[in-house]
Amino acid sequence: MKNVVHIKNLEVVFDTDEGCIEAVRDITLSIREGETLGLVGESGCGKSVTSMSILRLIPCPPGRITGGEILFDGQDLLTLPIPQLRRIRGQAIGMIFQEPMTALSPLHRIGSQLVEAWQFHYPLKRREAWEQSLAWLEKVGIPDPAQQMYAYPYQLSGGMRQRVMIAAAMMMAPRLLIADEPTTALDVTIQAQILDLMRAMKKADTSVLLITHDMGVIWEMCERVAVMYAGEIVEVGDVEPLFNTPLHPYTEALLQSIPSLAEGRGRLPTIKGQVPSPLEYPAGCRFSSRCPHAFDRCLAEHPTLKKQGARQVRCFLHDEGEVAS
Amino acid sequence: MTAPLLELRDVRTWFPIRRGILSRTIGHVRAVDGVNLSIHPGETVGLVGESGCGKTTLARTIMGLDKVHSGHLLFRETECAGISTAAMKPLRRKLQIIFQDPFSSLNPRMTVLDIITEGLLQHKMITPGERQQAAEQLLRDVGLTQDALHRYPHEFSGGQRQRISIARAVSLRPELILCDEAVSALDVSIQAQIINLLMDLRDAYHLAYLFISHDLSVVRHIADRVSVMYLGQIVEEGPVAAILDNPKHPYTRALISAIPKVGSTERKRIILPGDVPSPSAPPEGCRFHPRCPYAQERCRSSIPRLDTLSDGLTSHRIACIRKDEI
Repeated sequence: MKNVVHIKNLEVVFDTDEGCIEAVRDITLSIREGETLGLVGESGCGKSVTSMSILRLIPCPPGRITGGEILFDGQDLLTLPIPQLRRIRGQAIGMIFQEPMTALSPLHRIGSQLVEAWQFHYPLKRREAWEQSLAWLEKVGIPDPAQQMYAYPYQLSGGMRQRVMIAAAMMMAPRLLIADEPTTALDVTIQAQILDLMRAMKKADTSVLLITHDMGVIWEMCERVAVMYAGEIVEVGDVEPLFNTPLHPYTEALLQSIPSLAEGRGRLPTIKGQVPSPLEYPAGCRFSSRCPHAFDRCLAEHPTLKKQGARQVRCFLHDEGEVAS
Repeated sequence: MTAPLLELRDVRTWFPIRRGILSRTIGHVRAVDGVNLSIHPGETVGLVGESGCGKTTLARTIMGLDKVHSGHLLFRETECAGISTAAMKPLRRKLQIIFQDPFSSLNPRMTVLDIITEGLLQHKMITPGERQQAAEQLLRDVGLTQDALHRYPHEFSGGQRQRISIARAVSLRPELILCDEAVSALDVSIQAQIINLLMDLRDAYHLAYLFISHDLSVVRHIADRVSVMYLGQIVEEGPVAAILDNPKHPYTRALISAIPKVGSTERKRIILPGDVPSPSAPPEGCRFHPRCPYAQERCRSSIPRLDTLSDGLTSHRIACIRKDEI
């Protein structure tokens, strides 16, 4: 299948007072045409850094992309001059952020923010851009859209603001939509509305990169999933087989520690200890100190992401395959 | 049956809305509006609902942090609504709270030793000479190492800070702990550790919990009974399995169906239209009727009371006038 985006060996660091912190390393991941790819992991594992790197939205300083390439339509987004990158941002690649209150300008009305985007990318008259924007507000289910075009973001509820963000991200028919925790700040009943809307708005050839920490959301929305731990991808595969038979011990432990709605009571399986600080990553496997299966090699050597059938795994228990590329 | 540890009878917590230069009260935000709830010794009651439904205000009201507008709040059969701080003090020891955000609920200028022994000294349960020993025992109880004693909260991760909050809460040997979204800010692997710790402490000290959460799967693991709250009122309550496997109130049904679940094959979700109305102008009649798929004309006018199903469990109560039809 055709890849829309191909990330190769991406490496991002942050300069801090305590030293240079490696946020993500050796990220190799492709997003296929038309698929919804989930990116899952706990706080601080590098999910957002990876997604923000695609559009080069990492604040610099302190962040720096120090290696790798991100191919989109054969061109490397990491070396593209900014004016050309701005043509891609918001048009070919759209983005939805977690907190729509900070993603939308608080000083401008909803309508003018949408019109500005249209006029930046297309030679449209203000009236045409206005009508297009209005049509999109209606499409994403905003009640009384003609009135809401004049509203400021603070006047809308969290769910409604996220609908505006979806309109803004989807109205240019992007080839890739990056959704960074789009429903994390919302209540479950509103989350259900927004996930439903995202499914309805997605065209057959639009690819989605969905970042979340909620395994249930991944299960319901995605075809494939990449699991991240401590700045690295540890496992990639199709959602159903990966959830049913996780290969990496971290994926397995993570799935087991989720409380289930269907059955209950009794102690939950946990992962002992905590994620190591980026300043003191071990030389070997980064999960080794918490892994129930760790052996000598895990402490001494750093595993690479290897192919295992349709799956990719970073673990010495599954180390026979080719290096993933 | 023994007397309940905590009993709420028709509790209302209203906040005045003031306008104009004379600050005249022009209305009320009815954050908690007629709640009945009881917790027995050693029992864990889950309180679930979405943001703004009044869960936290209810917890603050029980703690005496927000004033009761009307109704009765009985702790060990003693009226707590409207009593003085001095009269409240002996009860406070029996009633503790763990907050959601372990970053803002611990004083950054106090060491862990000070944080977890402050209450003990305040209530004269130990002498200053016994502090060290008491603190060491508390740290063992919550699974922290002894070197934590002289460190400050910022040196700990979220999960460890929540352990400190728990140590502070259990230090006074309380009978009831309110957990206000105590595990919501934590990652799943850490969340599981804290849930296990809360369950261990419950067994060790015969604690009762009011476990407030928006996450029904967590509640399923820890709670004996559940109350579901919507717009300041309890709409359904009962044993945890009855509520989660066989929800009766249309809101509870929608809430449960909206949760994305790993492994589910059916994708049939009940999508509720619109947003939760404002608690300053709640709808007449049943508060859920504007969003309810089963609403009829009479739901607009008659106020439903919590009641059992005609053929259901006596402990499972639903506030819906159509509960036996739907």
